Amino acid sequence: MPSNYIALNTLKFILNQVHGLADVLKLDYYSDHDMESMNLFLDAVKDFSDREMAPYFKEMDEQPAHFEEGKIKVHPQVGVIMKKGGAMGLISGIFDYEDGGMQIPMMVHTANTYIQDCANNHMTGYMGLTLGAAELIIHFGDAALKAAYVPKMLTGDWAGTMCLTEPEAGSSLSDLTTKAIPTEQDYYLLKGQKIFISGGDHEYISNFVHLVLARIEGAPAGTKGISLFVVPKNRINEHKGLEPNDVNTAGDFQKMGQRGYCTSHLMFGENNDCRGWLVGEPHRGLKYMFLMMNGARIAVGRGAAAIVMAAYHASLEYAQERVQGRKIGKLGKKKVDSLPTTIINHADVRRMLLLQKVVAEGSLSLLILASKYKDLSLHAKTPEEKEKYHLLLEILTPIVKSYPSEMGNIAVSNGLQVLGGYGFTSEYILQQYYRDIRIFSIYEGTTGIQSLDLLGRKATMQGGRAIQLLIEEIKQSCSEATKFSDLTPYTSMLESELESFKEVLVVLYKLTEQGKFELFTADANHFLELLSLIIIAWMWLEMANESMQAIQKDEEPHKEAFYQSKIHAMKFYFNYELPKTLGHAKILKNVSGLTIDLDREIFV
Amino acid sequence: MNILVGISKTPETTAKIEFSEDGKSFKSEGVNYIMNPYDEWYALVRAIELKEVHGGEVTVINVGTISNETVIRKALAIGADKAVRINKETSSSWDTASQIAAYAKEHSYDIILIGKETIDYNGGEVGGMLAEHLGVSFISFASKLEFDGSVFTVEKDIEGGVEVVELNGPFVLSAAKGLAEQRIPNMRGIMMAKRKPLEVIEPISDEGFVTISQFTKPAEKVGIKMVDPDQMDELVRMLSEESKVI
Ligand SMILES: Cc1cc2nc3c(=O)[nH]c(=O)nc-3n(C[C@H](O)[C@H](O)[C@H](O)COP(=O)(O)OP(=O)(O)OC[C@H]3O[C@@H](n4cnc5c(N)ncnc54)[C@H](O)[C@@H]3O)c2cc1C
Repeated sequence: MPSNYIALNTLKFILNQVHGLADVLKLDYYSDHDMESMNLFLDAVKDFSDREMAPYFKEMDEQPAHFEEGKIKVHPQVGVIMKKGGAMGLISGIFDYEDGGMQIPMMVHTANTYIQDCANNHMTGYMGLTLGAAELIIHFGDAALKAAYVPKMLTGDWAGTMCLTEPEAGSSLSDLTTKAIPTEQDYYLLKGQKIFISGGDHEYISNFVHLVLARIEGAPAGTKGISLFVVPKNRINEHKGLEPNDVNTAGDFQKMGQRGYCTSHLMFGENNDCRGWLVGEPHRGLKYMFLMMNGARIAVGRGAAAIVMAAYHASLEYAQERVQGRKIGKLGKKKVDSLPTTIINHADVRRMLLLQKVVAEGSLSLLILASKYKDLSLHAKTPEEKEKYHLLLEILTPIVKSYPSEMGNIAVSNGLQVLGGYGFTSEYILQQYYRDIRIFSIYEGTTGIQSLDLLGRKATMQGGRAIQLLIEEIKQSCSEATKFSDLTPYTSMLESELESFKEVLVVLYKLTEQGKFELFTADANHFLELLSLIIIAWMWLEMANESMQAIQKDEEPHKEAFYQSKIHAMKFYFNYELPKTLGHAKILKNVSGLTIDLDREIFV
Repeated sequence: MNILVGISKTPETTAKIEFSEDGKSFKSEGVNYIMNPYDEWYALVRAIELKEVHGGEVTVINVGTISNETVIRKALAIGADKAVRINKETSSSWDTASQIAAYAKEHSYDIILIGKETIDYNGGEVGGMLAEHLGVSFISFASKLEFDGSVFTVEKDIEGGVEVVELNGPFVLSAAKGLAEQRIPNMRGIMMAKRKPLEVIEPISDEGFVTISQFTKPAEKVGIKMVDPDQMDELVRMLSEESKVI
């Protein structure tokens, strides 16, 4: 574990200065908080992560969750974290006071869980899923369900899960077959199996509250027939005690990464005695579940971004110490008799470090922005503002989930490369980050599914209004940054990227008008990459703009060198990453159709 | 039991300290501050634990300017009941001890706890001076503090063993590692801290016994020298002449 797994000053810079947490705290809903208390909270979470999470990171990989004698065994620290994290308010923080919460902004929630993710990404999901499941019950469940389950979940005594995936229904949830049979009582009898259920069962929690998607007998086919149920592992009996609810664990998937985070195979109703309580109305389950899924998508992006940050710091630490090779002298030759240099002085190593830095911090900035949009979509002053930020959040969500995950794979791979052969050995932590980050582009909807969501749904919703709003926001940032002449070359670059992006949109929208729907989404992945590159450029421009202002005003709390490092990273991003848009735009405009209507023989 | 806990603000352990041109002060730009760990982890937490068992009140006291209120809030978030800030930039350990003593004399505390030293100046002087001002006993470097309802039992690590002391209050105690276990403030505590009283009082006049003439950094570490195993004489010469260890 690197001694320094996160740059807390960068997190606070992005949260407080770039995205203006103070403005969000001015909203009525957050009036009990101020910057001092929020910063105190983040420092406390950092202490907590240093003590309770980081020390177990390697150990959890080396002693993975596994299935033994009918039970899933996880690292004992999982139990400690649920209890202590619950007591700290890490599960309950974002909820309303009346639901047992503390009304902290999503921006701060994201920042605090990000710190934990950097410390130990195997741990945070246990609390995160509990929070997400509680959120569903709070929003859509009736008073009895809330009273029965939520308080114990918020303290971390009970854990929550999301149960969507089945052996034959992964990306396509419309095909799920878990059945819910109505009874004369207030519950249904559930029957079916769910696989890949994160945090689904282990010995350190006395009860698991599964939020299960199932089909009520006789419901229509497809997504319209799916309902949502609370299905506890142990149900509450008439004496307020717990009794088994016929939810059994069939196994734990052994994985290449995140090995401390169990992934269970659950059987519901093998003995026809598994009770589930309907959440909200019948057949609206998938719609409800989207609340949890959208939150989980931000959480997945956050986890990936955090791994990139931690891996970057580990590789940076190494690059500053490892001595190897000599710098090229003025005459283009290396002097063999001169002292060797630390590898951080080689241009190619610096390229790898800067790539990691721009991905890590660009992703973090995007996450905090998306979280701000979430806060504003819920608590902004007017309905129009709420609607605007809701749409902006909708369009950003697939990118928040996918950019840190996909680019994270590349960034962490570069981090490992910085260590040379040592990076491949288990003595160093980079290989663990490299394995851990691989799952992030898969769960919570693969990048393929996110791309389809972005182009097929979000880019066309309300006649493309979300995209329009996004473009306006980016333009606004460009015009603000032009007050610094040092930044104008970059604002021009970003503005011209927007123009070429609009040209791509024209080509794509035309395909839908022509009814060529398969062709329209065939290259959705390139569309997602194209828009991601532009959005991260926007994030870097904002960071550079804020840094210029801080230098001009000689503003604390950071030293000038800190702000200069942000400006330099922005230049690197615009020179090394942003030009990659050209390739994607070209592919999209070509509309080659080479991936559709193919004879399978092509793949022989 | 009414307990007074002295807390101070120090630069973070990883902060790189630079001194001003005249060497009389250090530059605070870009330095992160924390509550002195010996005050926070041991003195404050043990005070709160005693209060939780025996009732009473924990007051934290700090001599410092308004920028110190962040660490004071943290102490309240961890569980202190109220806070006092004596509004001045302290000039020395003597000054700090005199200021706290002047306040403590006006109030009656059963015991006063502080950290064994601050992690910036590492002086460890305030406790003894404070006790002297108040005319009470002083116990330094305590690693255990128990109270059975009438008598306090204190343990302190000494060379090769542990010294056990029994005494009655009031006394001043300086806290070392082991006295308690760090408590991390939770969100509810942080929110409640905003509503707890923080009294700001003006300082008494400073007797000004101490002036700072110069801060200097320790000499840079010299690089490692490798000596061939066949050159033992050279090694002995270096150890005796250069590093002067033999
Ligand atoms: C470690 C781990 C933890 C998980 N945790 C949970 C959990 O807590 N709860 C839960 O319910 N699920 C969980 N999952 C399941 C996860 O969400 C699914 O694995 C994921 O959504 C993909 O489904 P699948 O594995 O069935 O792959 P498939 O759906 O079979 O996909 C295979 C490939 O086909 C592509 N594909 C599929 N359909 C389309 C399409 N229409 N258009 C284009 N491409 C397509 C996909 O992008 C992918 O590349 C977890 C999975 C893992 C591995």
